[in-house]
Amino acid sequence: MASAATKDDKAPASNSKPEAVTEQKPAAALEEDDEFEDFPVDDWAAEDTEAANGSEGTQHLWEESWDDDDTSDDFSNQLREELKKVEASKKR
Amino acid sequence: MDAIFDDFSQAQKQCDGNLLSQTLSPALSNEELRAIWRTCNAYDVKSVVKRGLQTSEIGKKGAIPKEELQCWTELYAAYWKSAGELLASSQASWTKVYEDWKEVLSILIRGYMSCGFESWTIPCLFVTGKYLREFAIKADAERGSSLDNAAEPNFQDDFDPEAQKNHCLEDCARQLNRVFNLCLSDRAPLESSRKWGIYHVANLLFKTYFKLNSASLSKNILKALSAGRGDMPPLEAFPKSQQVTFKYYEGVLRFLEEDYVQAEKFLTEAWSMCHNNALKNKELILTYLVPCHLLTTHTLPSKKLLEPYPRLQKLFLPLSQHIRKGELHQFDIALQENEDELVKRRIYLTLERGRDIALRNLLRKVFVAGGFEPPKTEGDKPVRRTRVPVAEFAAAISLGSQETLDNDEVECLLANMIYKNLMKGYIARERGIVVLSKSGAFPGTGV
Repeated sequence: MASAATKDDKAPASNSKPEAVTEQKPAAALEEDDEFEDFPVDDWAAEDTEAANGSEGTQHLWEESWDDDDTSDDFSNQLREELKKVEASKKR
Repeated sequence: MDAIFDDFSQAQKQCDGNLLSQTLSPALSNEELRAIWRTCNAYDVKSVVKRGLQTSEIGKKGAIPKEELQCWTELYAAYWKSAGELLASSQASWTKVYEDWKEVLSILIRGYMSCGFESWTIPCLFVTGKYLREFAIKADAERGSSLDNAAEPNFQDDFDPEAQKNHCLEDCARQLNRVFNLCLSDRAPLESSRKWGIYHVANLLFKTYFKLNSASLSKNILKALSAGRGDMPPLEAFPKSQQVTFKYYEGVLRFLEEDYVQAEKFLTEAWSMCHNNALKNKELILTYLVPCHLLTTHTLPSKKLLEPYPRLQKLFLPLSQHIRKGELHQFDIALQENEDELVKRRIYLTLERGRDIALRNLLRKVFVAGGFEPPKTEGDKPVRRTRVPVAEFAAAISLGSQETLDNDEVECLLANMIYKNLMKGYIARERGIVVLSKSGAFPGTGV
């Protein structure tokens, strides 16, 4: 068990209570014990929650699943090539 | 033992349940256990404990009814016995520890049922229940390893290795269920009701059922809770640690039932309320929240979100990348590479459905690459080419995998996309083209 408090960089130091120490298990233990851990403290203030400390709101944490910025020219060239191949293989 | 009596007295005076529960904690060093063990022997333990409690500050005042004091006496005597068993546990067996500790819990339960233990003392139930579970797991592991070493095979017909394997933990689940009902059935007014223990015990039971691989049994707990919800304190009134744990398990249970909308709701609540420093727990929440998001809102985790969790990065980032780029074949490979890990975390099947999104993105690329129709009249808003030959989609699909699909197969995939409302349009079979909607061919993606 690590005894050092892992402080979130973004959280002001005053927010992290000394007793609110995260228990970190070594990675090797993950195999066996993949269980929701008991929190070291029973209750905490709103400013210690993820919601209060998470970076600039939840919007930026989830991204659209599609992507437009690749060069669609590249893709259409590839596609044309592939199409030719498909056509050719059909004729054979 | 004297320290225990002092704390007992102090806790009773101030109605401090947490302090009281500490007197029943078995998580002590060997020296501390030995100190307790040496204060008495099996013959005089009850009289030593009784005298200790009676001569403590609170005992002298006579503030505790006789019957209740008797029950506390038996409780600490059983605790003393467990301490001895724990000291011996390096040579002896965890099964013995488990059995002795079960006795501690049984006496405690009796204290509430018939000896007037007050509701402020319920942290004692939490501590006792928590360690009963830990001892059960240790006992099962110990027996498991000795079973493996046993030279004599067991030829009994009804031998069920699974049932044997978790013998103690299954028994533990039954004991915890007794505690759950003990809390649930308390009819005392809310302010002094054991119902304040309900979520803590429910969480312990969830953990136990998940460990037993019978997560579905948790549904009985949820049912009992929702049936009693009317005369129970609302979940929001409980400490955040209990709320977060409960919501996590409720979310995962919905997830396993494939109710992803509800799952996402509970997991998101658990996520935002979770303690900022509880990395491990946040990682567990995200493990299920990410697949939920993929299916409900078709969104992917950002690098920033996964930054603190290398393990999740390994699981999710390649998959996300392939989904985003519509790289079907690589998506399949990435899924396969992590199959064991994903199956173990029960998210394989859910992520597999992400293939639809990858396919959607690939088809969308074909559509975008198709460009625009020449405007009919000058100054018209350009309209994308909405008639796309099936062959183009087929070519795109085989682009990554280097294997050619039948047109029929491709049409089947397309029909599925349309059915799932990931693509809008229809297939004109006889002409071999797909006619896509002019207003939003791929709903929600800006084209």
